[in-house]
Amino acid sequence: MKTRSFFNKDGTKSVLSTLISILIGLIAGALIILIVGLVDDKLGLKEAWKGIRLIFFGLFSKGQQAGRLVFGFNSTNIGDMLFRAVPIIMTGLSVSLAYKTGLFNIGASGQYLAGTTAALFIALKMNTAVVAPWIVWILAFFGGMLAGAFWGAIPGMLKAFLNINEVLACIMTNWLAANIVTWVFEGSGLQCTEGTKTQVIWKTSHNGVATAKMGLDKLFPESQQVDGGIIVVILIAILIYILLTKTTLGFELKACGANRHSARYAGIKDKRSIVLSMAIAGALAGAGAALYYLSGSTEFHWQTYLSLPGEGFTGIAVALLGACNPIANIFTGMFLSTLDVAGSKLSFFTEYNEYITDVIIAVIVYLSAFSLLIKTWLTKKFKKSDDGFRKIPDVAYTSKSGQGDKLPNAAAAGKEGNA
Amino acid sequence: MEQASAGAYPYVIEMLHITKEFPGIKANDDITLQLKRGEIHALLGENGAGKSTLMSVLFGLYQPEQGEIRKDGKVVRIKDPNDATALNIGMVHQHFKLIEVFSVLDNIILGAEDTKLGFLQKKEARKKVKALSEKYGLRIDMDAKVEDITVGMQQRVEILKMLYRDNDILIFDEPTAVLTPQEIEELMQIMRNLKAEGKSILFISHKLNEIMEVSDRVTVLRKGRCVGTVDTSSTTKEKLSEMMVGRPVQLVVEKGEAHPSDVVLKIEGLSVPSKIHKNDAVRNVSLEVRKGEIVCIAGIDGNGQTEFVHALTGLEKASAGRITLCGKDITHASIRKRSLTGMSHIPEDRHKHGMVLDFTLEQNLVLQRYFEPQFQNHGFIKFNAVREYADKLIERFDVRSGQGPVTKARSMSGGNQQKAIVARELDRNMPLVVAVQPTRGLDVGAIEYIHSQLVAQRDEGKAVLLVSLELEEVMNLSDRILVMYEGEIVGELDPKKTTTQELGLYMAGAKRQDKEAKAE
Ligand SMILES: Nc1ncnc2c1ncn2[C@@H]1O[C@H](COP(=O)(O)OP(=O)(O)OP(=O)(O)O)[C@@H](O)[C@H]1O
Ligand SMILES: [Mg+2]
Repeated sequence: MKTRSFFNKDGTKSVLSTLISILIGLIAGALIILIVGLVDDKLGLKEAWKGIRLIFFGLFSKGQQAGRLVFGFNSTNIGDMLFRAVPIIMTGLSVSLAYKTGLFNIGASGQYLAGTTAALFIALKMNTAVVAPWIVWILAFFGGMLAGAFWGAIPGMLKAFLNINEVLACIMTNWLAANIVTWVFEGSGLQCTEGTKTQVIWKTSHNGVATAKMGLDKLFPESQQVDGGIIVVILIAILIYILLTKTTLGFELKACGANRHSARYAGIKDKRSIVLSMAIAGALAGAGAALYYLSGSTEFHWQTYLSLPGEGFTGIAVALLGACNPIANIFTGMFLSTLDVAGSKLSFFTEYNEYITDVIIAVIVYLSAFSLLIKTWLTKKFKKSDDGFRKIPDVAYTSKSGQGDKLPNAAAAGKEGNA
Repeated sequence: MEQASAGAYPYVIEMLHITKEFPGIKANDDITLQLKRGEIHALLGENGAGKSTLMSVLFGLYQPEQGEIRKDGKVVRIKDPNDATALNIGMVHQHFKLIEVFSVLDNIILGAEDTKLGFLQKKEARKKVKALSEKYGLRIDMDAKVEDITVGMQQRVEILKMLYRDNDILIFDEPTAVLTPQEIEELMQIMRNLKAEGKSILFISHKLNEIMEVSDRVTVLRKGRCVGTVDTSSTTKEKLSEMMVGRPVQLVVEKGEAHPSDVVLKIEGLSVPSKIHKNDAVRNVSLEVRKGEIVCIAGIDGNGQTEFVHALTGLEKASAGRITLCGKDITHASIRKRSLTGMSHIPEDRHKHGMVLDFTLEQNLVLQRYFEPQFQNHGFIKFNAVREYADKLIERFDVRSGQGPVTKARSMSGGNQQKAIVARELDRNMPLVVAVQPTRGLDVGAIEYIHSQLVAQRDEGKAVLLVSLELEEVMNLSDRILVMYEGEIVGELDPKKTTTQELGLYMAGAKRQDKEAKAE
């Protein structure tokens, strides 16, 4: 009985269905590796077996000894994994928050770019000889956040005031951002060329601005990348969770997302709520970009930004896989960056192409969309019914909405009836 | 042939010992229902008694945990609505399942079209539909788009859909709740015609008059159990309501003399533009509602009542006029401002406005007050206070649901959703109560309670503005009746001095006061 009620909990079901999607995704990835291995005579079964182990345990790979893979605790990998999780957890939070308030934010890429631009400009343009670098860092961080918020608010406003679908508006603002950013950087005169590289790059450490390590460099001494960003991200995720579940503002945003009409009826400003939701979502994506580029160890190449940054779309995967729960997003973000690390190991130690991890991620994302199905399946498995889910909405007595339209007819019917 | 073999067996459908559980509640508990061939069998029960659930089981939408279903004496398994259709069982859901942008004819044949020689035989279909509609008196316009026709016609389309599929067991889940009195009359006649053709009908309604008028037998449910089945001819409205509620019910509102005093709401020259035509939906309406009286706006659906209420409560903008509430001009005030100035509003459309269906019951109960200091502290919701308050309202208004305050509103029965809205609005204690169709879809017990609550509000010195399509409710409850016709107030009547007939004439626009009042 006990186990049954445990399995019947909504949260348990969500977690289980996520884990099942992940497992199926990994198995699918392993199968692809196996098939590619058997077909390609450069690879073969032995190489395939290596690949499969790396896909599952790449995070713990310690390299090779005499052609054999060695596994164990690897502080470089884990540190790098944590660092790479930073931006995608943030874009994941962005998508989750929007989703929980009834909006689909596929504009995280554009908001991420807006955040990138603002953060880099502030961090590189301010003179650190005059203003202390940590103050510049803070200004750049909030600058990135605000820029993201502004970029998110645009589709929000289009939706609230002109009733334009936010998905369309987001696609538009994404490409707008990509082009504006290219144009802005081209004319900026901000060029920090590093000796060996021919490309023009932007890196905040040139101006002495970099995220504090917050002791993480001691924990993972070999990782070049890890810094306090991940701690900031975890704090933000907790804040978003509190905002959504414990505050009146969260109540209003969610009410508005679930039913704009009844929220309005209850005196909630529906337009303001929609714009605010999108602005917060944008702020999260923008802050994610700021944290990534302010780390000091990352470089920004605008030339590549004729396409959109992948973080925005990976964010959708992070959000969906974690059932749009902000706390779950911390873990799903870390999982996807683990795959990222595994992918680089795969290409390093085997003849496989690292893009195979993208295939796995794609499979998992598809499955996470099915996670609702898996959830219902779990429900059936452990108990026959499910609450909150009515097959026939008893809309019943309701919907006079739109029936005002029938004025002439109804009146006519009335006349006949009474004459 | 089937007819002949089944002819000997009196019951077309038998549902035996059906049990269906939802989290926290047994919606159907060992229910047995037997439907005779060619009868109209009414299903009666309080809100949440399990009527819709039982019918959904018969239609294959839910699988019961226990019990069996027999058709013509043979056990059948109905796993989904396709199985039901194969057994000639059809259902008209309360909320119609038509495709708005398709024509009436397309809607009727949709899903059953491929059975005709493998390609669309629209001509044949048209002939068959025409024949059916003439046979049963189901007036429709086959080429109109569904979005352009009245609810009454939409319902006739749903019925034709069943007939087109040769269904002979017809389920109607509260078909009359959305109809005007005239349309209800028509539907009753249609049901009689269907019965005369040998169809067997299951009919859910809360309106005892309809049940007495049209049904042969009645099965009464209470809290998921079957109380019994009686012949309609041997029972009365009073007996039925006692069976279903478990105690005698006051079918007529008991209320004393009204003592109206100060004006609470004053509306001068209000006009509201229409969304569909160029004329105003509400034209130059002026009225006053005083403390201690129930003023009712009566009228046939679609004569501007909805727009009037929306303009009053702030959901829509008025094009002209002035609204004064408790001495304050609220003509241009926001919805929240109006509500806090002293207005509570039981909205017409419970799912569009009244509730956030994906929220829990308790969240819905504080929907209008979550921002009050009682329920929040610096923007943080006080969950304990919310729970306590919700428990109190649930208890006082007898809101029934599977899991109490944490039940998802969507899973509650329609009537209980309505009770929750009424509870929320009346407990706000505002000087003006705007109640639109407050008892739509409620059982007699709940209607009695809500009527008595509205009278209590009046006696406490509140002003009550009631909008109702139900003549009986209008006559029973109000102290003053204003009739609205084509957006105008065409008459003011005293319920004690007028008759339903006279009221009907005003509502139909056949009579108006500004000219005749002096003459009479
Ligand atoms: N899908 C569901 N999930 C959870 N509980 C449900 C579900 N469907 C119905 N219930 C519960 O089962 C009970 C019976 O509901 P049902 O809709 O059958 O009532 P009803 O008799 O049709 O009432 P009404 O007259 O108000 O429409 C209610 O308490 C309702 O909350
Ligand atoms: Mg029902």
